Amino acid sequence: MANKADQFKIAFREEAREVLVDLESALLELNENRADAELVGRVFRALHTIKGSGAMFGFENLAAFTHNLESAFDEVRNGRLEIGSELIDLTLSALDQIRAMLEEGEAGAPQSDPSARAEILAKVRHLTGRPEKPSAGDKPAAPGAGTEAGCEAGTGIDAGPMREWSIHFAPGAEFMLNGANPLLLLRELGQLGGLSVRASMAAVPPLGELDPERCYVSWEMVLATAAERDAIRDVFIFVEDCCDLTIEAATSPTSTADSIPAKGQASIAAQTGSAVAGTADLTARVLEDQRATSGGRRIYDAPDHASSLRVPAAKLDQFVNLVGELVTVQARLSEIAAQRDDIEIAAVSEEIERLTSSLRENSMNIRMMPIRATFEKFRRLVHDLARDLGKNVELTIEGADTELDKTVIDQLGDPLMHLIRNSMDHGVEPPDVRTARGKRPTATIHLSARHSGASVLIGVSDDGGGIDVEAVEKRAVERGLVAAGAQLTEREAFALLFQPGFSTAKQITDVSGRGVGMDVVRQRVDSLRGSIDVTSEPGLGTRVTLRLPLTLAIIDGLLVSIGEASFVLPLANILECIELTRADIERANGKHMANVRGEIVPYIRLREHFNILPPRPEIEQIMVVQTEQGHYGFVVDRVLGNCQTVIKNLGRFYRHVQVVSGATILGNGTVALILDPERLAQDAVRAISHRARGRPAGAALRAGIGREAKGRAQAAS
Amino acid sequence: MGITLKQSRKLAVIRLEGAIDIAAAAEFKNLLLQACGSGKDVRVALDGATDLDATAVQLIWAARRSAEGAGVAFTIFGAVQDSVSSALGYAGLHQFLFPLDAC
Repeated sequence: MANKADQFKIAFREEAREVLVDLESALLELNENRADAELVGRVFRALHTIKGSGAMFGFENLAAFTHNLESAFDEVRNGRLEIGSELIDLTLSALDQIRAMLEEGEAGAPQSDPSARAEILAKVRHLTGRPEKPSAGDKPAAPGAGTEAGCEAGTGIDAGPMREWSIHFAPGAEFMLNGANPLLLLRELGQLGGLSVRASMAAVPPLGELDPERCYVSWEMVLATAAERDAIRDVFIFVEDCCDLTIEAATSPTSTADSIPAKGQASIAAQTGSAVAGTADLTARVLEDQRATSGGRRIYDAPDHASSLRVPAAKLDQFVNLVGELVTVQARLSEIAAQRDDIEIAAVSEEIERLTSSLRENSMNIRMMPIRATFEKFRRLVHDLARDLGKNVELTIEGADTELDKTVIDQLGDPLMHLIRNSMDHGVEPPDVRTARGKRPTATIHLSARHSGASVLIGVSDDGGGIDVEAVEKRAVERGLVAAGAQLTEREAFALLFQPGFSTAKQITDVSGRGVGMDVVRQRVDSLRGSIDVTSEPGLGTRVTLRLPLTLAIIDGLLVSIGEASFVLPLANILECIELTRADIERANGKHMANVRGEIVPYIRLREHFNILPPRPEIEQIMVVQTEQGHYGFVVDRVLGNCQTVIKNLGRFYRHVQVVSGATILGNGTVALILDPERLAQDAVRAISHRARGRPAGAALRAGIGREAKGRAQAAS
Repeated sequence: MGITLKQSRKLAVIRLEGAIDIAAAAEFKNLLLQACGSGKDVRVALDGATDLDATAVQLIWAARRSAEGAGVAFTIFGAVQDSVSSALGYAGLHQFLFPLDAC
């Protein structure tokens, strides 16, 4: 049972972390829009949820501490306290303390600071004009504990019209074992307004068959409140997964509350089996009216039924790995079925292929998450850094709903943090400098995300002073990275910024300048098989774009062959396949250009690029591919067909081979390299450029690929 | 927390002390089964209970049905503490312990 309680605490921590992210975001938005009552309500509800649930799951100090902040925002809601920078900053500092209290006891977690908490509370009380009450800080403001502190501000009622909500609540089999207590939840619910409760024992089995640790009681309630549905749901937020809960609007909003119980009072009716006690007139009437409107059927509100399930990420990873194994085995089955002239086996194989494909898509979708939470957490970083650096900076976000694999998102936090810190410290100018340059005193850092084929593009841009290319080159010469007088392209100069220890900063600050951060960005992006692109305009700003794979697990691919070697191209990048005959080549005078319905598309002959020896076939295939640089053609010998591609990492030895993003095992047991069209195009263009300048670049890499293609890619892990 | 069962020639008396919640539920059920199976009148004393949760209430309710089905008298006695009464009342559970109060 202790383990169950621990599990529930873990679940509380996970959900509280999400609530804290939302709270932080709401506070920072409130800082910009101080008259926004909805944002005030959002902050209040988040604090209320953390307080109430914290107390319920044994985080009593956390609950007591949060209660004081909740009271302050209650004052704000009621117009008795104005939102100011001091309150926002105090609440943000308090939020850090709440985070620390939440993680206390966890390995490596920062310890919360009681003296800092006391200082914050003293300042909050000073702002609210409330005298210090030891009980408020020392005792938990547990919902249902009936303390004065707990009821003081924990109403969760917005100053809107009253309405009635019909609530059905039935704890599940594990509810009590998880440490939750339905009575405390009902008490907290009652703090939202007038609550009419009807408990039912209908599901309680005979004594001998009764599981003593399971709650069989269920409740039908009518809550009269001005609170919104979200505030009601928040009461159950930590137990939603282990109970049956529906919240339905029972009546339209009304400004009169004559017929509803006063706040904090509950009218109670008991039900034994199917019998209804007579004291629950209001409850019975409301429930009866509601059922009548739907011809005896309950009206379920769709959003309330959109339930979700919290699953540990490790279990999901294991599930996706198993799907990957299944995809590989299915490819073998398809191969065997194709070799045999057996209609029945072929039919079963096709059916399994269809199901596997569907399973793969579904499993991958489960792991796809919007990048919003990752982006939102940087609002705080920008706010704090702007204050510390004496700069005015606003963070704008675009494409926060863009989804990518959780494993990719998990590794994005650090690189983005370093890029933003770098922009704040080196890119964005102080307000007086900006004004002198004719710019707005407030700078903008823009975070963006969008899909591009099988990749996602994450952008960090600022409207600061831009990168001083000359300073970069000078520093590179000083450090011996390039020869004096070397003619670097802009791209090559910017690439130097990501060298270990490279910095043009004249002084090291707390924020950046040690030349470590950008190296971390490059390493992390490399480990994700992504790429970094930097563009900068002097005086106008800098944009860093990270191109990352949407997923690191399974993709739809197109299997092609060159000689005896097989390769996979991500299907998402491929526009079409066209034939390339010797006559076509002659018509183009030997130039690597194809005429695709009037559009001239440059192509790259992969056989030559990878040093794969002839003979080449009479008719080749051009795969026309969409890249960030435009349309490119990749010439291969044959197109073998679609394949579900389970991405296997190449060993570290092959990590420098940029044009290959991984390997996959084919149905016949051989290995195919997965090509990265974007990098392939860049590599080809660079090779042509270097040839023109008489520099052999990338030859070793291409030779490596050639050897790899011929010599079996046994490196796949 | 403590649950005791004492039996005399005609009575089986269960006395509850402290918080009677899920941690005590298995033991409480066991003693209720013994009491209801004894063929004697069953009494449950609540005056020492400082907290009763839903598991305790449903056990008492199920035991009452079991006893009544067997033709055995089942009585709850002792003044329940205000905090307990308030919590049960708030959750609509009071009347399952004291059905006569609802009439």
